Amino acid sequence: MPLIIARPYVPNMRLIIRDDAETASSYVANYIIDRIRHFNPTPSHPFVLGLPTGSSPLGVYRILVEKYKAGLISFENVVTFNMDEYVGIPRDHPESYHSFMWKHFFSHVNVNPNNVHILNGNAPNLEAECVEYESKIKRAGGIDLFLGGIGEDGHIAFNEPGSSLASRTRVKTLAYDTILANSRFFGNNVDKVPKMALTVGVQTVLEAREVVIIILGARKSLALQKCIEQGVNHMWTLSSLQLHPHPMIVCDEDATLELQVKTVKYFKSIEKVAREQGFEQILPSSIRTGPVPASIPRTVIDEVQSPTILAPQPMTSRLLRATPATEYPVRSVSPDLVPDRMADRVGVPDLARRLTPQPEQQHQRLARVGA
Amino acid sequence: MPHSLPSSPKSVPKNGQNGITKFTNCRILRGNSLVNEDLWVDSVTGKIIPSQAAFYDDLILPDNVVNLGGRILSPGLIECQLNGAFGFNFSTLLEPAVYAKKIREVNRLLVTTGVTSYMPTITSQRSEIYKSALPHLGPSGGYQVAEDGAESVGAHVEGPFLNPTKNGIHNVNVLLQAESFEDLEVCYGASNIRSEDGYRPPAVKMITAAPELGQMTALIPELARRGIIYSIGHSEATYEEASAAVGAGATMITHLFNAMRPLHHRNPGIFGVLGIAESQPRPWFGIIADGEHLHPTTIKIAFNAHPDGFILVTDAMHLVGLPDGTYAWTNGDCTSGIVKKGPKLVLEGSDRIAGSSITLIECVNNFLNWTGASVPQALNATTSTPAAMLGLQGTKGCLEEGADADLVVFSENVNSNGRSELVIDEVWKFGTKVFSR
Repeated sequence: MPLIIARPYVPNMRLIIRDDAETASSYVANYIIDRIRHFNPTPSHPFVLGLPTGSSPLGVYRILVEKYKAGLISFENVVTFNMDEYVGIPRDHPESYHSFMWKHFFSHVNVNPNNVHILNGNAPNLEAECVEYESKIKRAGGIDLFLGGIGEDGHIAFNEPGSSLASRTRVKTLAYDTILANSRFFGNNVDKVPKMALTVGVQTVLEAREVVIIILGARKSLALQKCIEQGVNHMWTLSSLQLHPHPMIVCDEDATLELQVKTVKYFKSIEKVAREQGFEQILPSSIRTGPVPASIPRTVIDEVQSPTILAPQPMTSRLLRATPATEYPVRSVSPDLVPDRMADRVGVPDLARRLTPQPEQQHQRLARVGA
Repeated sequence: MPHSLPSSPKSVPKNGQNGITKFTNCRILRGNSLVNEDLWVDSVTGKIIPSQAAFYDDLILPDNVVNLGGRILSPGLIECQLNGAFGFNFSTLLEPAVYAKKIREVNRLLVTTGVTSYMPTITSQRSEIYKSALPHLGPSGGYQVAEDGAESVGAHVEGPFLNPTKNGIHNVNVLLQAESFEDLEVCYGASNIRSEDGYRPPAVKMITAAPELGQMTALIPELARRGIIYSIGHSEATYEEASAAVGAGATMITHLFNAMRPLHHRNPGIFGVLGIAESQPRPWFGIIADGEHLHPTTIKIAFNAHPDGFILVTDAMHLVGLPDGTYAWTNGDCTSGIVKKGPKLVLEGSDRIAGSSITLIECVNNFLNWTGASVPQALNATTSTPAAMLGLQGTKGCLEEGADADLVVFSENVNSNGRSELVIDEVWKFGTKVFSR
């Protein structure tokens, strides 16, 4: 009888590189299908999928539709939330994102219209629409997988450069570059392009239990480089993905043009080794099956010692603290050196206040406060 | 606002279903191309519905998904000149109840030939036949009952104001000349060429007459005002006379080339009005593509002269589908015989062509085979073009949202000449399937 060994999970950025747009799209579509099937959604326990518009995900939608028509996947118990919608164009305008989703996805599959959520750019009160959208996501139990694409400037949804990484669903004025780029869909007439949009925020995306981004083509290569090799930066809003516990970027070779060779080789080797070891870069099973309905009693094991990563805490607010995140399980082959501290030996009455590994900084800060 | 909900439900589908059918994996006729799109139809409203609005507004999913496997989905065919079918001649004097029963039979059978709307046509007859038959032949689609089969869009009266020298097989003895509108009312019955309540259209939708006789050209504006189409036909009209008729409001030519002067280089005759010589709109025209009435090349010339006016008609007699032989035919004041030999009909004792016994889809296939026209061009000649001629754009002959859900599913076979041939697989009327091969 073979031993059943729990497959290891390593929380890190997964960068999947495929030869061309078709195979990259195919990877993403199959990944989503695997996730939904493993999740085994039911009407009371639906899979919640975040969806983008634009040119990047077109191939993914096409393959999802093909797989649906071949009977390999059902979207009956999938709840969808779309990223964004223009303000002020009719809902059934050919360039609206309602029309895009209808044309490329919803009209071809069995998504229940009651499960479809797209921001209403013609709502009488746009602010209220955005607030309501956030609460709809919460009522649906949060998003299990947010699929996205990016712009050439690394924007995710309509979170263009300079958007707060703590932003939530809101009304957004479009950058002139975006308006200019979109004018090709409006008869090259800049005046006809909507100037505003409703969009989920960076934080809304980061709160999804998993984020999958598809990046295709050389035009997006600089954005990919900024997001993978550089730091978190509001000028490249996708870089905020570095703060997410389960991000995945799927790209084609063209999109890697600006990456360092060693970056590409590194991520390719990770994928290769993982596959050779008999496991894909999988998610913890609690993420893969979604939160267990509250009605079922379950044993809570040691929540304090190994906190759950079901619903990631807002990363940005944690960044504002002087303390780095410590609640993610860190696995390493050889234990890192943990410098001994005098406080551990002496024993301090208030341990909670001493959990920071950098007491010097804290002291400095306290000193400043006192000054 | 919900866009797709019925304003007055005709019937409620059983089991809480919504009666909506989605056609998928099909090539649908849009303009001059066949495009891969889905089509949603509602059997409650009998219309093609805007699927996106139904989904987002009414939160509707179709009850029924029909995968056509790449076949062609076309609007139902529209026939503008049909004298009778399946053994029943519309120009027959019968008890009203019997006549109505015969019409219902014809409608149910006709729909199986892909014709979902048509103009029942009465040839030159004595006044009593018009007065007894026309009340049964007016527009019949008002109740949108799919099971009734093909619907009449109004009657076509071909005669009796025709030129005796271009009578074809019409009986010369019953032909008349009109000097005033009263003459038309006396002949057809005033109630048949007048709207009963100012809202419903009159029973007669189209009149074929020779414009050069009597005061006919001067009567055209009054006909147009009443919503009746004036069609030039069975006429000796010169180019000038035909142009004057078009200027007065004639919008149609009945079976172009047949029963009129041929095109002469010094007087182009009726055909000349297709030449855009005057600053007048060009009329639509009917073409009989049965291989008897016209040479295939003539058909191609007519098509190239004015593709947007080209309408395929059968001019079929009631002998369609009957075995070969000689059949009695009420022709004005006497009864003659028509000899049927295969698809060819000849007046007994002469060599005159007596209409045809061809179906409209056979005309479409002939047209495809002879001219190398594209499938959309051939289908438009029996759908969107006649609908435009009849003023039914947006309701009939198209697959736009809001149009009547009259549909034909075609298989496309390619014959040995590399030409397409269409086979009717299914016919849908008002969103309900009424025929399946």
